[in-house]
Amino acid sequence: MNSSGSAGGGWRLPRHELAILAATVAVFVVTGWLDPNHTYFANWAESRDIIVRNTALLGIIALGASVVIIAGGIDLSAGSMVAFSATTCALVLMLCAAPDDRRLVTVGPAGIAAAVGAAMLSGLLVGTLHTWLITAIRLPPFVATLATLVGLRSFARAMCLFVTKERWGSESQQINVNTPFFAWLKEHNVWIMAGTFLVLAIVTWLILSRTVLGRHLYALGGNEQAARLSGIRTENVKWFAYCYGSLTAALAGIFLMADSSVAQPGTLARGYELNAIAAAVVGGCSLQGGVGTVPGTVLGALFLRLVIDAVSKLIKASADVYEGMIVGIIVALAVTFTQVGRRGQAGRAFFSGARGLAAIPTIATFAALLATMAAANVPVLEGRTGLFGVVVGGITLVALAAIRHLESRHAS
Amino acid sequence: MFVAPMTRSRLHLALSMTAAILLAGCSSERKSASPTADAAVGKPAASATKKPRRFIFITNGDDPFWDALLSGLKDGEQRFGCAAAGITVARDVNNGSAEGQIERLRQYATQDDVAGIAISVIQADNQSIVEEMKKLRAKGVKVITVDGDVNRDTFRDARSYYIGTDNVVGGRTLGTAARALLEARGVTEGGYVQFAGFTDNDNARSRMNGVKETIGPAYAERDRMADEMDLPRARDNVRNATQNHKDLAALVGIWAYNAPAIADVVTESGTRDKYVIATFDAQDLAIGHMEKGRIDVMVVQNPFEMGVRTVRLLKAMVEDDKPVLDEMFPNSASAGGDVHTTGLRVVVPDSTSPVKSNLFDPQVVEHMTLPDFKAWLAKYNLTSS
Amino acid sequence: MTPIVAFRGVGKTFPGVVALDGVSFDLTPGECHALCGENGAGKSTLMKLLSGVISDYGGEILVRGEPVRFRGTREAEAAGIAIIHQELNLVEQLSAAANIFLGRERRTAMGLLDDTTMERESAELLAELECPVDPRTPAGSLRVGDQQLLEIAKAVSLASDVLIMDEPTSALTDAEVARLDRVIARLRARGVTILYISHKMDEVFRLADRITVLRDGRVVTTVDRTATTPREITSWMVGRDIAAHDFHGSRSPGAEVLAIRSLTLPWPDHPRGYRLKDVSLELRAGEILGVAGLMGAGRTELLETIFGAAEPTWTGEILLDGRSVRFSHPADACAAGIAMVTEDRKRLGLFPDLDVAANVSLCSLNEAVRGGLLSRSREESLVAGPLRETGVKTPGPHAAITGLSGGNQQKCIIGRWLLVKPRVLLLDDPTRGIDVGAKAELYTLIDRLCREGLAVILTSSELPELLALADRIIVLSEGRLTAEFPRAAATEQKIMEAATGTTNHVTI
Repeated sequence: MNSSGSAGGGWRLPRHELAILAATVAVFVVTGWLDPNHTYFANWAESRDIIVRNTALLGIIALGASVVIIAGGIDLSAGSMVAFSATTCALVLMLCAAPDDRRLVTVGPAGIAAAVGAAMLSGLLVGTLHTWLITAIRLPPFVATLATLVGLRSFARAMCLFVTKERWGSESQQINVNTPFFAWLKEHNVWIMAGTFLVLAIVTWLILSRTVLGRHLYALGGNEQAARLSGIRTENVKWFAYCYGSLTAALAGIFLMADSSVAQPGTLARGYELNAIAAAVVGGCSLQGGVGTVPGTVLGALFLRLVIDAVSKLIKASADVYEGMIVGIIVALAVTFTQVGRRGQAGRAFFSGARGLAAIPTIATFAALLATMAAANVPVLEGRTGLFGVVVGGITLVALAAIRHLESRHAS
Repeated sequence: MFVAPMTRSRLHLALSMTAAILLAGCSSERKSASPTADAAVGKPAASATKKPRRFIFITNGDDPFWDALLSGLKDGEQRFGCAAAGITVARDVNNGSAEGQIERLRQYATQDDVAGIAISVIQADNQSIVEEMKKLRAKGVKVITVDGDVNRDTFRDARSYYIGTDNVVGGRTLGTAARALLEARGVTEGGYVQFAGFTDNDNARSRMNGVKETIGPAYAERDRMADEMDLPRARDNVRNATQNHKDLAALVGIWAYNAPAIADVVTESGTRDKYVIATFDAQDLAIGHMEKGRIDVMVVQNPFEMGVRTVRLLKAMVEDDKPVLDEMFPNSASAGGDVHTTGLRVVVPDSTSPVKSNLFDPQVVEHMTLPDFKAWLAKYNLTSS
Repeated sequence: MTPIVAFRGVGKTFPGVVALDGVSFDLTPGECHALCGENGAGKSTLMKLLSGVISDYGGEILVRGEPVRFRGTREAEAAGIAIIHQELNLVEQLSAAANIFLGRERRTAMGLLDDTTMERESAELLAELECPVDPRTPAGSLRVGDQQLLEIAKAVSLASDVLIMDEPTSALTDAEVARLDRVIARLRARGVTILYISHKMDEVFRLADRITVLRDGRVVTTVDRTATTPREITSWMVGRDIAAHDFHGSRSPGAEVLAIRSLTLPWPDHPRGYRLKDVSLELRAGEILGVAGLMGAGRTELLETIFGAAEPTWTGEILLDGRSVRFSHPADACAAGIAMVTEDRKRLGLFPDLDVAANVSLCSLNEAVRGGLLSRSREESLVAGPLRETGVKTPGPHAAITGLSGGNQQKCIIGRWLLVKPRVLLLDDPTRGIDVGAKAELYTLIDRLCREGLAVILTSSELPELLALADRIIVLSEGRLTAEFPRAAATEQKIMEAATGTTNHVTI
């Protein structure tokens, strides 16, 4: 049976995507219900806007990330590319504005076009650089994109300081962008970003599943040596993949700059590359390459953002403190379930032996700590957070021990 | 671990459960309809349903300064009877970026139990932050700025009031003190560098300009260096400044963590005595440095008091308590009347310091020696200010 | 006499596949017992059960009369059963001695590694096995024949009573095979029982006392060697009478298609300095040129150079239809009409995440395009031809390629290249790991293609295969062309001699 998520697959109900969809709906429903504000129902429009906007932004970057991953590579630099693109755009705007215009309101349409063009061009150049480092210098993709992860952001900051000093006489870490066009973009950004995301998703899907290039991408990721020996010019296919990744990040950079009205290379989009890779992986891409679909990635992005949003609603703390933990747990769980389903390892025991025995109290302890911290922000549990933590830890312990017992019963 | 395949019947079950829950959720929502519209019209909220409400304080970043403020918030919560009115006060620590504040403001806009927001705006000129604040106000949520304001010329209508230090006065105070110290050493000319988190931030700008004003024309401002709230970078800036400018006579720290950064670097390089070190705020590390003689003067804000007054103001706004509002903002009709300043203190190591109390207007600035200051902190269980 | 190992009704099922069904036979202590069967007959599964890799199976295994169920290789080793795998299990960076004692290192009184003792004992063992290797040499730098003896040494040091050998001579020279025979004899003299898996009839009939034949997971028969013939064994293995194929009915070569002159491919980091040296050959349309040689002789490198897949540092000339060509990428070779089916299809030929149709259509996707996009229906009709022509057995064009047997996978890859309509087809060991029945089908296919005008260069490690198929055979040894025979003048003996360098360059 053909696993969903590969090219040339049959038209079966894609099991993996359905599972994510079901999980997404479940999270949505549970959050809406448990939230004392019933935010999703009471403030549907604004909640929807937040989720759509964030999903679209993450999704644009994740689409690029998944193309790179399907082709067998990896791009760690997406977040820095976003910052670099935003900075480039802002700097070109600055150069096209009146010399003393610190808010960049005087930029005409030609300047705006030039700025957007420059930002996208920077994406193309970075993608080409990646390909060159990987194919000519033979750096592993991890290393090449790690170098740009740190290098691009630093370069963007240096550029920002240099140009602001030259133009305005004093260095500045950020550039405020109040150009009317971008302000308009920001005002309507939910629908513009959602629309762009949708169009990009359709285009990506078309390329991946219905063109020769797409087939070559899957082949390259599935078995690079065999692809080359089949007459595929692997270097060209890689160039396409890495440029796609960088261009989508560049596009996201422009949107992000418009949304926050500022280009601040030091802090913009830190960590976004990991969320994008996580969305792709949750959506079914395999980091070994050759596997992945666009619907999966789209759903993965939606699911991830929904869970992060749920934290804001339920725990009433700001999600970004917990974001890392959530993404980590979700990725681990999602990939585990994908692997189990795909390679038919349904009979494998997770908690056998000494290491399984050690894993159980470790996981239970983490769960207890996490629950205690989360409970601190939930008013109804005030004063009883410690107890809550212990209870959650205890339940986890018992549940895992039960699973271990069932596994050993089944094995013998 | 056994993973059962997603069978069709399970899918149906999931979908019908979803529908049931949605219906349940909708009906319960109707029962607890929120009266946020009423609050905007000035009807006293006490007569509306006792629905729990929240005041949220959004900081600009992570810094011990905000811990002192949190103590003030909690103190105010108790002092002004918030619990009886069903109000809880919480603090939300931002991650040091503009997007962080924008996202937080958007999230709070969707939560109906948020009745008041106080924010220390990280970038005074950022249009996006301003727009989110305006949207909150349009919804009826009370919005004020504390410690970090928006650009008052262009974005004044983003918030109702501002509570904070008068940063210009603060800067001038520090400049005056620095001048006194330099003259006492017999240094009649030289350069100085000012260090802050962001040079574009409203309070940073005001302070730095104030310092420049009063330190006098004899001394030249060689640079303003920003570190984006990155502590290692703050230290590197100090090192670079001392290396790049040979005539440096004074180092001025503008944000709370710049003080220990400067003190650390001059101690490690053994150049303490070359410079006059004048800083803002009293982080507990900074207090320690002053005790060891590494800081000459601190101009200290009162974040505790800021917290207390934030709660008082928000509660008064939500309950439309006119007497309190008039008391805090007597000149609300005139320009600048929406600003409420909290006090400043000048702290010196001991009474032998050349910075004397007669340099300052006692109405505005309180002059204290370090031991007295520490006693005041202890009274309120604080370690910093 | 109690059998030292007895299988009683052993069965094992994997999801969707019955690997073993009711297998029962015995091993008498001290005998050399051969196990024969096609690929997929169940030999390796049975060995995994006996050596402790798989512990979940039906039926019983008795060792020295006692029922056992090993839960790991350690338990099997403790019971005296050791296995020498076909793919050697050595750690290349460690020394020979370290490999022998891996997992059972000798320690000094203070708990540190006692290298001196281990090296001394290794030296003794290796001397006994006629292996003149310094125990401190890294295992990775030894010749394959010596590596194999290292594995045997490891098993012997475990004081095993039962030694399982899986296709031990697949990579050995004649001299090494003779040495192995002597080693086996010595082991048997000491009372070691040997379970010898092979499908080389000459070895089986030289070494074995009794032979068990497996087919489709069942025991067909267990016979004394003296009571049977190779032809009978082979027919039991495939269940049908396989006559030796003879294809040379009416194949007549046409014009010269490919010529190679003094091809030299440098090898910078190697003492020898070259992978290929001064190799020259001609190939005509409708002809099969066989290339013989041991592993490492340069057969694959020769094909890769022609195909444009090798490093572009080679010198010499390659002429296609009389024109000098120099391909820097397989895509160029493909466009010029040359196709290559690589060895090791798993690593170099298959795309495991793509389905059968995608694997077959990969080199000809442009023909499946309609309106700028790939058309599913066009792709299906495109691949239907090669699938039929090559006789692939698959549930459908969209089945997972990993679900097909090795033979069918290989047919898919050949089908992929047939779609390109090449003029020259390079086949690198195409029937490795393929069962006898599928091999026969492939031979017929290749023969038919040649009659239609295709020129083929065929590499193989199996001499009978070359002798059956090729019109001419060239022999490579250590990068040089050492012999060239027309089919009529070639014998296995002569080819082997040329491949091992025992004779100088011979042309007849």
